[in-house]
Parts: sequence; structure tokens; C-alpha cells
Amino acid sequence: MTELLTAVSNGVGQGAVYVLLALGFVIIYKSSHVISFAQPSFMMAGAVLVSHLTPKIGFWAAAVIGPLLIGLVALVVERLVIRPMVGKAVFVIAIITIGVDIVVRVVTGAFLGVDPRVIGDPWGLDTVTVGGVQIEHRHIAALVTMTVVVMLLIGFFRFTRLGLATRAAALDQEAAMAQGVNVGTVFAVSWGLAGVLAALAGIFASGGQPLDQNLWVIALAALPVIILGGLDSLGGAVVAGLLIGVVESVVRSYHRDWFPGLDGNTGSLAPYVVMLLVLLVRPQGLFGTKEVQRV
Amino acid sequence: MNKTIRRLAVGAVASTLVLTGCGRDSDSSADGSTVGVTSEPCPDAVDEDKGCIYLGVISDLTGPFAPVGVPLTAGGKAFWDYVNANGGVGDYEVNVTANTKDNQYNPETHAQAYSQIKGDILAMAQSLGTVATEAMLADSDADELLVVPATLGSNWLFEDRVLEIGTSYCAEAMNAVDYGVDELGAKGVAAVHFPGDYGDDAMVGARIAAEERGVKFTDITVDPTATSQDASVKAVLDSGADLVVISTGPTQVAEIVGGAVASGFKGKFIGSIPTWNAALLGSPAGPALEAAYLWATSFPLWDTDSAGFEAMREANGAETPNDYYALGWSGGYIMKAVLEQAIADDDLTQAGLLAAAKAMTTVESEGMLPEGSGNYAGDPNEAAVRVSQFGIPTKGASTGIGPDVDFFTGPTAAGYQFEEACYLQK
Repeated sequence: MTELLTAVSNGVGQGAVYVLLALGFVIIYKSSHVISFAQPSFMMAGAVLVSHLTPKIGFWAAAVIGPLLIGLVALVVERLVIRPMVGKAVFVIAIITIGVDIVVRVVTGAFLGVDPRVIGDPWGLDTVTVGGVQIEHRHIAALVTMTVVVMLLIGFFRFTRLGLATRAAALDQEAAMAQGVNVGTVFAVSWGLAGVLAALAGIFASGGQPLDQNLWVIALAALPVIILGGLDSLGGAVVAGLLIGVVESVVRSYHRDWFPGLDGNTGSLAPYVVMLLVLLVRPQGLFGTKEVQRV
Repeated sequence: MNKTIRRLAVGAVASTLVLTGCGRDSDSSADGSTVGVTSEPCPDAVDEDKGCIYLGVISDLTGPFAPVGVPLTAGGKAFWDYVNANGGVGDYEVNVTANTKDNQYNPETHAQAYSQIKGDILAMAQSLGTVATEAMLADSDADELLVVPATLGSNWLFEDRVLEIGTSYCAEAMNAVDYGVDELGAKGVAAVHFPGDYGDDAMVGARIAAEERGVKFTDITVDPTATSQDASVKAVLDSGADLVVISTGPTQVAEIVGGAVASGFKGKFIGSIPTWNAALLGSPAGPALEAAYLWATSFPLWDTDSAGFEAMREANGAETPNDYYALGWSGGYIMKAVLEQAIADDDLTQAGLLAAAKAMTTVESEGMLPEGSGNYAGDPNEAAVRVSQFGIPTKGASTGIGPDVDFFTGPTAAGYQFEEACYLQK
């Protein structure tokens, strides 16, 4: 039982990272109906930037300034690359985001260097034992940060003028424009927010371990998360992120007991299997809006 | 299964070489001169009166193994600069920069790179990637191509054209297990490794030694793309092993050693050469590595007092010391000895180099290569270097590693008869 709970605890920590990433995907999708494949590069850029800032200004300041700067980079990318494409097929824009991802990752790689870097977080590999279950400090920190971020996002979308405008544009862009909503600003804000969230995810994804060129791969796990939770559901991203994190961690931990003949760890497959099973029953994901087409 | 996939991969890349390459019947060019050798001076020659020998380098300069390939390539270049500055080789200087290519650790890219340079090089001063190198050697133009590999797989013992250096991952893992059993009283051994030639070579070596010494053995394969290594940590703890031979990348080492020690693991990890990077000392896993990790290598450490190391340290100047830089430098001694012998034999061609290599029994490396290096005349079991030493993570040491266990050969490695590459026995 202790082993299972340890796996769940690790999974929740990993899931919190997936949630932060998935929220960025969802926010961009809600505003523009585009899946942005640039999120992995922003995640990596955020982690690398913080690893450079930490020795100069300390971790806490770096953890605030780094994501804000990456949000700014995302804003610039949106203005220069994505905005001119508004009106084009969303598929085309999605493909463009793949190009953005590659460019940002290549540039980031130059700042990463050839040796692994460290993010300099204060949690390291410290643990706290609760009822015999070892819980890593970095996982607690990720969960707390994710919770705070989700609450801030709820507040933003419910109580701020810009947040309400974003929700209106998500529902019906033309109607929102008719009501005076500046859809361009909505796009920019959504990209900026997604950049900040990706950078935050990068900080926690590289906590407790050296940071190398392969960090961005973690972001791929956010794809089944957003499909599972529903492309346009922030709540779905939270539930699905934590669920995928836990399922993946448990399957990884018990892989050798359950599949002794298999070399490769089935934990990598678990998110996709869960996604497939849910989609068979609910094609729109757990919390996604059911698509209605007039025929 | 593994063997079949491997053959298919080699076959596929070899096909690419055939399709993309230009045919060449001998190692003489159209004007009668030897390919890769010119009477014209090298670019940036020290002595304009000397000719130039061009050697190829295909390494990972921007891919996942760039932390290995970049310093290895820099070390190799520095060695040949040192040789050229000290009179070159016979009437020639050696150039390794004109034909340096980045394979991004992709066999397909490696094949394309080889096709581009094969008409301009006498031999390969470095080739990184086992599958890619095997495919390259399968090219019809590489029948006599001499290669210094940037891997320590035991497969190279069975290839005349490859000038393997150092102890193989397989024999090194045997030494690790023997040390664990004899000196640490290990009762159980686990091999935590990447799938593929590198990790499997070490795993099989550890398994052979564990069977030989009568201790329990557990095989744990690590998923290199896993977002977390918690599963590997759990597998190590579940195995009950008190000695872990680890053959992954440095990032995984930090996660697994750090995680295992934090979860109460009291045994020892001994890592293959590619597991170490000095940056790990500054990571959260640093204290765990200092307490529970040893680095296995057959090469002398950076601060060794010898003429070769002294020259290398001087060449490195103010740059951060790096063990792969030292490896790149060390490999040069083998190629230099072969070139000198071919010149003495008046046969500076690929065939001449191969003949010179096959006659070599030893090499003068100014104290940079392990005992027994440079014997390519004997059979694989005579040629195999079997010594290891263990370093320990040490803050303040030049490359983050200080000496811990001096050179030795364990009983398993000493008595083992290599009949095929270890990883093929997976």
C-alpha cells in the first residue's frame, strides 16, 4: 500500500506539471481554436532562462521574472507570426506553431550548452514522510503552485474585463467583436498566459534533476491530457492532468510486476490508453463541449 | 529480436550509403595521388613545406550526445594541433577539421556525412554511434577504412578496421561486480541500463560476472524518454541489490541515484564512462552521488602526472577540464602510431594503414592510454584491454572526479573469453 501511495504522490507531482502545460494549450485553443505545438519550446526556454537567472538574482526572483519574460516572448511570437495568419485554416496555424516550436528550441539549445544545467530550486530531493509515504518537497511545491495558478485563472476569467472578453471571444468571436471586444488583444493575452504557464511547468519539470536538451519531451504528455480533459475545458485540464500523472506513475512503478516480459516501460503508453478508452465513451473528452453541427 | 532490428537498421543505413555515395574503385584519386593525402600544405599549416593528411570526424555536435561529442572532437583537434606544432607525422601535418561533420546521433545523417567526405579522407579520426559506424563500415568504399570509434562496445574487438581504445563497457561492468563482491561484500547486483549496444553491453558484462560470482542478478532497463525515473528507483529498491551497475546518461544517473539514496538505498552505484558529467555535482543529487556513486573508467584521470596529460592540460588552457576532451586527445595516439608505421612502410594508403594497424602490438601514448592498449595484431582476447579504475565525485577536483580505487582487473574479466559482442548475448 505504501508503494502504491508513493507512486500516487509522485504522479500528483508530475500531474501538476501536466496541468500547467495543459492549461496553456486550452487557453490558446479557447481563444483561437488552434492547438499550439509551441508549448514544449516555451517550457524548455523557461527552464533554461531560470537556470541562468538563479545564480544572479536567486531562485525566487528568477521563478517570477523568468516566466514573465517567456510570456513576453510568446506575446511577440503571437504578434509577429500568428496574428498575420488569423483567418487562415486553424490547421495551417497549428503547423506554423510546430515551426515556432523548432525555432524556439534551437535558440534555447544555444543557451543550454552541451552540459546539463541545474535550475537551483530549493527543494532538491528533500522528502517528508506522511504515514510511511515519502512525498517529495518539489511535488508539493508543484501542486501548491498549480492550485494557486488555477485559482488566479478562475479569478481572471470571472472577474476581470479582459478575462470576460476572452470568454466571450471563445464562445463566439464575431458576436464578441460586435460587442466591442478586441479579439486581437484576446489572442495576445492567451499566448502570453500560455507562455507563462509553460515556463512555470518547465521550472517544476526540471526540479530535483539536471536539465538537458530532452526536457521538452515531457510536454508531449500534455497532449493526451488536453484531449482527455476536453480541448476547451480548463477544469478538464486540471482533472485530466492529475489523472494522467497518477496513472502514468502507477503503471511505471508496477510495470515490472504486471508486464515482466516487456523491456520498454508501459508507463509511457498509459496516458494514451486512458485517453483512447475515455474517447470511446465521450468523444469530446471528459469535460469538453459537445460539438453540435447543423445539417 | 534485438539482433534482427539491429541488422535491419544497419542494412537500411548501408543502403542509403550505396544510394547517396559515389563509387570509388581504389584509394587513389584520378590524378594518381592517395585519397586524403596531399603534397599541398594543410589549411592553417604550421610548416608550409609539409604535405597534409586529412582525417574525417563524424560526431554528435548538436544531438543528445553532444555533451560527449563536442569535447571529444575538441580534444582530438587539440591533439593534432599539438602533433603538428611538434613536427607533424613524417613529411606531413594532419588536418581533422576540414572533414568534421555533425551526425546529430542520427545514423541516416551519419551515412550522408560519410558519403560527403569519403573521397577526401585517409581514415576516420572519430566516428560516434555504434549502429552508424557499423553501417559506414558496410559501405563498399570502406573495405579498408580505419576508424577510431567514440564508443567502447565490445563489438569492436571483432573488427580489424576499428582501433578500439580502452576497456569495453562489458569488461568494465565485470570489474565493477568483482569489486562489489570482493571489497563491498555485495550479495545482489542490479544492472540499470539504457536499451541498445551501450547499456546492453554493460548489462551482459554485469550478468556474466554475477553468475560467475554466484550473486543474485536483476536486469533493469531504463526508458531514456521517461518523464520520471521513479520506476527505475522502485525497481532498484525492489531488487534488494546492494551493488548497482548503471549505464545510462548523466541525467538519469542523477535521478536514479538521488531518488534511491533519498529512499534509503545503502549500497553502491558504479557507473560506466558515459554516466558522468561534472555538472551533476551541483545538482540536487550531488550529495547522493558523493555518498553512493563511483565512476568506472580505464583511462587515467585528468590530473595524472604524465607528458601527455601535461601537454593536454596546456592545450586546454583556461577551458573547463573535461574527461571526454582527454579521451579525444588519447585516441589520437593510436592513429598517429598507425600513420607513422604506414609512412615507414612507404604505404600511406588506406590499405597501408590497415596493414600497419594489424601489425601493431603496442602504442606509446605518453601515459594517456591504459595498460595493454594498441595491440591490434592479436586475436580479440589478446587485444582486449581489461583494466578499470574507479573515481569518486569530489568537489574541487578538475573534472569533478577524484581517484578512489586504483587500476585493477577483476577475476571475471581476466578469465573471460570474448567470442562475440557482449550485447548480442542479451
